[in-house]
Amino acid sequence: MSADDLASGSILWTLLVLHLLAVPLSAWVARFDHRAGLGVAAIAPALTAIWASVLLIDSTNPFVTELMWVEGLDVGVRFRADAIALLMTLLVSGIGTLVLVYAMGYFSTSSAQMPRMTAALLAFSTSMLGLVLADSIWTLFIFWEFTSITSFLLVGHKDVDASVRDAARRALMITGAGGLSLLAGLLILGAESGTTSLTDLAPIDGGRAWVAALLILGGVATKSAQVPFHVWLPGAMKAPTPVSAYLHSATMVKAGVLLLAITGPAFTDVTTWKVVGLALGISSMLWGGITSLRHQDAKLILAWGTISQLGLLVTLLSVGTAKATFAAISILFAHAIFKAALFAVVGEIDIRTGTRDIRELGGLSRTMPIATAVAVVSGLSMAGVPPLLGFAAKEAAVEAALKLSGTDALIVSTSIIVGSVITVAYTTRFLLGTFGAGPDTTVAPRRPAMTIATTVLGLGSIVGYIAINAVNGIVGPAAVEINAKADVYSLYRWPGITTAFLVSAAIVAVGVALGLFILRRVDQPAPGARGADLVDHGLDRFLAWAPQPIARIQHGSLPVYLATMGLVALTATIPFVREVDTDSLVLWDNAFQGALAVAIIGAAAAGAFVNSRLGAALTLGAVGLGVTGLFVVHGAPDLALTQLLVETIIVVGFVLGLGHLGRSFPSAHATWKGVRVGVSVLCGVGVMFGLAASASNPSGTPPIEQLAEAAVEEGGGNNIVNVILTDLRALDTLGEVVVLAVVALGILALANTSDTEATT
Amino acid sequence: MSISLLLAIGGLTTVGIYLITARSLSRIILGFSLLGHAAVLALLTAGGPAGEAPLANQNDAETIANPLPQALALTAIVISFGLTLYLLALARRQQALTGDDLVEDDLEDLRIATLAANEEDDE
Repeated sequence: MSADDLASGSILWTLLVLHLLAVPLSAWVARFDHRAGLGVAAIAPALTAIWASVLLIDSTNPFVTELMWVEGLDVGVRFRADAIALLMTLLVSGIGTLVLVYAMGYFSTSSAQMPRMTAALLAFSTSMLGLVLADSIWTLFIFWEFTSITSFLLVGHKDVDASVRDAARRALMITGAGGLSLLAGLLILGAESGTTSLTDLAPIDGGRAWVAALLILGGVATKSAQVPFHVWLPGAMKAPTPVSAYLHSATMVKAGVLLLAITGPAFTDVTTWKVVGLALGISSMLWGGITSLRHQDAKLILAWGTISQLGLLVTLLSVGTAKATFAAISILFAHAIFKAALFAVVGEIDIRTGTRDIRELGGLSRTMPIATAVAVVSGLSMAGVPPLLGFAAKEAAVEAALKLSGTDALIVSTSIIVGSVITVAYTTRFLLGTFGAGPDTTVAPRRPAMTIATTVLGLGSIVGYIAINAVNGIVGPAAVEINAKADVYSLYRWPGITTAFLVSAAIVAVGVALGLFILRRVDQPAPGARGADLVDHGLDRFLAWAPQPIARIQHGSLPVYLATMGLVALTATIPFVREVDTDSLVLWDNAFQGALAVAIIGAAAAGAFVNSRLGAALTLGAVGLGVTGLFVVHGAPDLALTQLLVETIIVVGFVLGLGHLGRSFPSAHATWKGVRVGVSVLCGVGVMFGLAASASNPSGTPPIEQLAEAAVEEGGGNNIVNVILTDLRALDTLGEVVVLAVVALGILALANTSDTEATT
Repeated sequence: MSISLLLAIGGLTTVGIYLITARSLSRIILGFSLLGHAAVLALLTAGGPAGEAPLANQNDAETIANPLPQALALTAIVISFGLTLYLLALARRQQALTGDDLVEDDLEDLRIATLAANEEDDE
């Protein structure tokens, strides 16, 4: 089987279905043995990762596969496997597999929550896969929301802890709000661009483009934890480390960056897009890095570092030059590998020593040599030191920054350089603080599953550097998908002594010095989670305030609800008032219609005013007879017969059913009566206008002759209405019969319950 | 389009909505039936003008009324018939339990009102 055979929609769907089937299966297996459950969960991502790498190496043409539901409205699921989608697939499924293996070691006991954890991890992996492969904005949005929900479940794993629940809620609220903003933005983008396909987006401009840009950036910034929406990410570090390594380094937080990249081509002419993107990116890059330098918890150092790195990615993509785009994709790839490795190592330290505080850790290079080696390699890759993949990617970024021209170039390139210095500084502090000198810690025995996963991730940074051509084959085409001019760039193992290289060397030197300086001031207190507290406080205040307006809107009165719904529905007819073509109106089709209409209106009005229940039932019968007459006049004998029968039963039903009730209706309040009359008259007029407007603009002539012909020839009946019911719409008619049967059962049950029994 | 039919539909809708916004369940059922009539007539008018009965062996295809909305309307009549009878059974049950057939305010919604009132007291 060649790579071309693998590049097919059926394989993609098979893999997705495999994921979906494995979700409940893995949860079920995890009830008995959590390692086996995680193992089952790892199968589908592993196969997907292999599939993606084969396609990436033997680069075949991108393909699209879709499952349409409503063709005309473009409602359905559509996937596209192109270079960028496959790159992300490789990260999502490859790192997903390793994380699931890692989790086998991380979770030592089979707790009652393991089935949920396993299922949620795999469900997240599936959502993420759908998100990165999505080709239509609808598909993207649906999977985007799935990742928010599954990540809520994952962050809230330890649900007995109130602070964990708060963190999970915060993450859900912020990313959920961003999701709504994204939906609105995508709707405008789709309407303006004239396509729902993410790959065919045409550049848009004007006022709506401006709004769409801001709304989509709202989605990007919340998902990718950009300042000031980043406050959920540090809190989410309360999640178990496999979750952090997966969601908060390699995949979910990259979803925003990916969205920025793939919708970017539509906003090339929108200044807001670039300016706001740069503001978000630069502030996150700097603020994330600075805060990272102030934390003592190794995991939080990494989390803030992630915010900083995501800021760098957003900055590079917002700059929008071909070189910057190429650099962004390269860093995205390298970052996923080294950051997942670093998180995994911190989790291992946490499990084996019982602490993540860099002040309490010491002697780890002796007691945990493999973990130390992985951390050093990955850390150096993060700092951009050769011979590692991070170096090659960082070089591309520095080159891109130096090549910028224009007014904003100075700010952007300075920020990128300062951000890189800070990155080196917090990496230095992280490595020396965690693995350098310190109080000796007792270390629990190694767990093989964790070691395997961290080692593979650590080797990734080295292998990526050695096999730089393979990496170029992956990131190059992906960058070209976003910016066609990016095809001239590639990563180099050794760029030679260029300006960019000298700048990089200076960055590393200054960064190390800064890191060493700050490392000595070890006793400074870690910053509090002020932003997170603010969000929590705001949420609590909101929830406390919410009942008041809701109690006013949702007051419980059925009549008011119905009147409100009538009025709202009425507004739908307003646009059509001018569409009414008075020429198409005739007084009546024949004079009987006029007489019957008068009789019907009279009987109905009497029904509204009459006070006795029996009288009301009789007016209803009169209306029914009038309508039957209209059917006869209209040329609908079947309807007339049915209506006559139905009307008789209903009147009998009224007399039987309401016989126990008092003779007259209870009286209603006078003002409310006025409102009701107003609303109902408005609604009646609205319906008339709506119908007249629709009749004025027919969308074609009714296929009466075809129906008549088909009824005789295909249905074998002369009564066309009957043939339609029993032949064309046979299934509907069956449903109708079922409804009546259910109604009959319901009435029987209601009538048979003895009155005393139900009151207890 | 026939103005007579439009007026009949409009009149039925008006009285129907007036009645379903009442508190008494038996009035609501009446209103519901009237709205059902209005909907069926609306379906018919949307299909075109009156004509001869859609019987292929008796009338010419060019003079008959549109049969498609008639088939839809037939379904609508039957379903609203079923629903009306079910509502009647509910009204009878309600009467047996509480002695009248008034639609009370929703209990869950009233709980929200209590919540809001408590909140105001706290402040």
